[in-house]
Amino acid sequence: MRLHEVNFFVKLAGAFAVMLTAWLVPGWQYGVAISALMLAFLWAQRVPGLAGYMKGVGLLTVLVMGSWVLNLMVQGMSLLDALPIAAGMAARLVTTTAAFYFVMETSTPGSILAAASAARLPPVATLVLSLTFGIIPMLREDFQRIADAQRARGMEIDDVSLALKLRYALARGVPLLVQAIRMAHAISVSLSIYGFDMRHKRTTWRNVGLFVEPQLYPRKVHS
Amino acid sequence: MPGQPLLVCGATGSGKTTLLQTMAGLIPFLVRPQAFSGSVCLDGQPLSGMTKDAVFSAISVVSQAVEDQLWDLSVEDLIAFPLENRGLAKPKIRERLQELLDELELTGLCGRRVLTLSGGERRMVAIAAALAIAPRLLVLDEPTTGLDPAARQRLVRILRGLGKEVPSLVIAEQDPASVGEIVSEVALLREGRLGGTRPALSLMKEDAPWREAGILPPFLYPNRSPARATGETLLAVDGLKSRLARADGRAVLQGIDLEIRAGEVVGLIGRNGAGKTTLFQSILGLSPTTAGTIAIGGECADGWSSARRARSIALLPQNMRRILFHMTVMEEVTFAITAGKKSSVRQSVEDQAMTVLRKYGLGDDAGTNPFALSSRQQALLGLVCAEAANAAVAILDEPLLARDLEGRRMLQLFLDTALDRGRAAMMISHDLELVEDVTSRVLILDDGEIAFTGETEAAWETPAFGKLGWAPPRPWLKQERRHAAP
Repeated sequence: MRLHEVNFFVKLAGAFAVMLTAWLVPGWQYGVAISALMLAFLWAQRVPGLAGYMKGVGLLTVLVMGSWVLNLMVQGMSLLDALPIAAGMAARLVTTTAAFYFVMETSTPGSILAAASAARLPPVATLVLSLTFGIIPMLREDFQRIADAQRARGMEIDDVSLALKLRYALARGVPLLVQAIRMAHAISVSLSIYGFDMRHKRTTWRNVGLFVEPQLYPRKVHS
Repeated sequence: MPGQPLLVCGATGSGKTTLLQTMAGLIPFLVRPQAFSGSVCLDGQPLSGMTKDAVFSAISVVSQAVEDQLWDLSVEDLIAFPLENRGLAKPKIRERLQELLDELELTGLCGRRVLTLSGGERRMVAIAAALAIAPRLLVLDEPTTGLDPAARQRLVRILRGLGKEVPSLVIAEQDPASVGEIVSEVALLREGRLGGTRPALSLMKEDAPWREAGILPPFLYPNRSPARATGETLLAVDGLKSRLARADGRAVLQGIDLEIRAGEVVGLIGRNGAGKTTLFQSILGLSPTTAGTIAIGGECADGWSSARRARSIALLPQNMRRILFHMTVMEEVTFAITAGKKSSVRQSVEDQAMTVLRKYGLGDDAGTNPFALSSRQQALLGLVCAEAANAAVAILDEPLLARDLEGRRMLQLFLDTALDRGRAAMMISHDLELVEDVTSRVLILDDGEIAFTGETEAAWETPAFGKLGWAPPRPWLKQERRHAAP
């Protein structure tokens, strides 16, 4: 879990490096190998929400490969020739999403704020980075909470067909939008009342270097 | 006035929150009303003449809906946030952070994300953040909401000790007794009009002024609901163990056994973070379990989906916004009746929904968006949905309605209706007077186990209750009886 505490900017640089490698390697075999390694890395690091991410990756792979194969075959390429090209493209996208998924899931808004403040970035950059990378996991949790609310109100969204599951998931869009607006309001209120000012550079309570200090006191373990 | 903490009391919907938001500068700096007149002065200086930064450097506020000012930061991040934003040096921030964490006994929460804390824990962290900059005026809207009695005592001790650090304090509270000893003056708010201030000591002993303002008086004699004969077991939990674990690896729930029978209102009490929320989430199947069985209406419900369980167990969370997802109040209620299934008798369902809405005074709001309702109306909507769903057991998590006269009447109406129909209710609350008045049996959750189950009257004398370190409900009554005894 120590890798989760690596400075956000180091993680971000690492993700860019992985992405560049994935897009620059020549053969599809290398691309697939890198994407497989990246997925294994996510699994080994026990990145939160991996099961959901893997479903998304599966869907992405099917869609990318399907569309590329179809496109190339329409242009006269044989299936055997089209498949490796499509696989290479899908692998690049999987690697790219996996690299940034790791950064997003293992960087809390607080740790990003700390890294950006320690780097003496302008407050606007600090805020944009924290919200960009921090808000997606928050929205995902809200999406899950709305699903739980539907369950808690007796709406059967589990023991139903896939088509119905998708329909119910889409129906969560409206409450999610309401929740997103509320969240934006809460963040805006929080920034104002706690004195966030675009004109003043922030400091941080955390010790920041290659790693970002996760908490002030070590976690208490009861005997 | 500096050195004279003021308590503002009023029934839900009387305008307390609007008044406090105006005093704190949230209105009009952050929330711009359609019409606004008059002025608010701090130390003789009108807020309208100050910059936003100057206002929020001088005034700290903790809202009643504390979630509305929190986002996904860690405990330390949130407390240090106002100091970091003002560019304080790291050693100073860390020193202040340590001070506040120790003073408010929050060190055990270090490293936790604020949004994963229990309601009471969140509020204490928000109060620590409000204290961080040592404001000239501290505005607290319903600060004891969700706090267990020990946390309330801790809060009172901290507020009493603020002294010169925070010279002015304004609190809005529906439970005046809980903060009575730290305020010197009280103003009662009624339908948007604030009465003159009165010394807290004398007003606390009176009855009529509070009732006229629609609030339960601080020294309210017990008004216990008559016990009813209990019937069949509606909910049985046996050996329930949660997958959710604490930092030390121990399961939050470790072998919970409980039964709820028809005709009873059961109170569930326990410290903040004791696992009360995890318990009802586990019963509903929303939080995974590693052991134990759940039976609903005599049938084993282990294989049931959450939705199927929820059709027998209605949940009313403290914050109703968490479980509302329709576009109109009518849709919420018809959904509660049909559980989302298409009904061939739509008109009849809507008539049924309207009957219950009218019963709880929401008949005119059938077409309103649920998110546009006030917190009080949303809580009433929760009662309407639970009653319309006709669930066997209703779980009420800290019903905030209960501190004013009308809200208490509505809650009692809901409970009476449920019991008349042979249903049952479980009430999770830190308001021990409410628990004493409306429940027939109490469960004490401590250290992941049910440490006591038995009649409410007997609960306050048990070792399990003693271990919580809380004062029993209405301690003044005991003294009164002792003095009255020959």
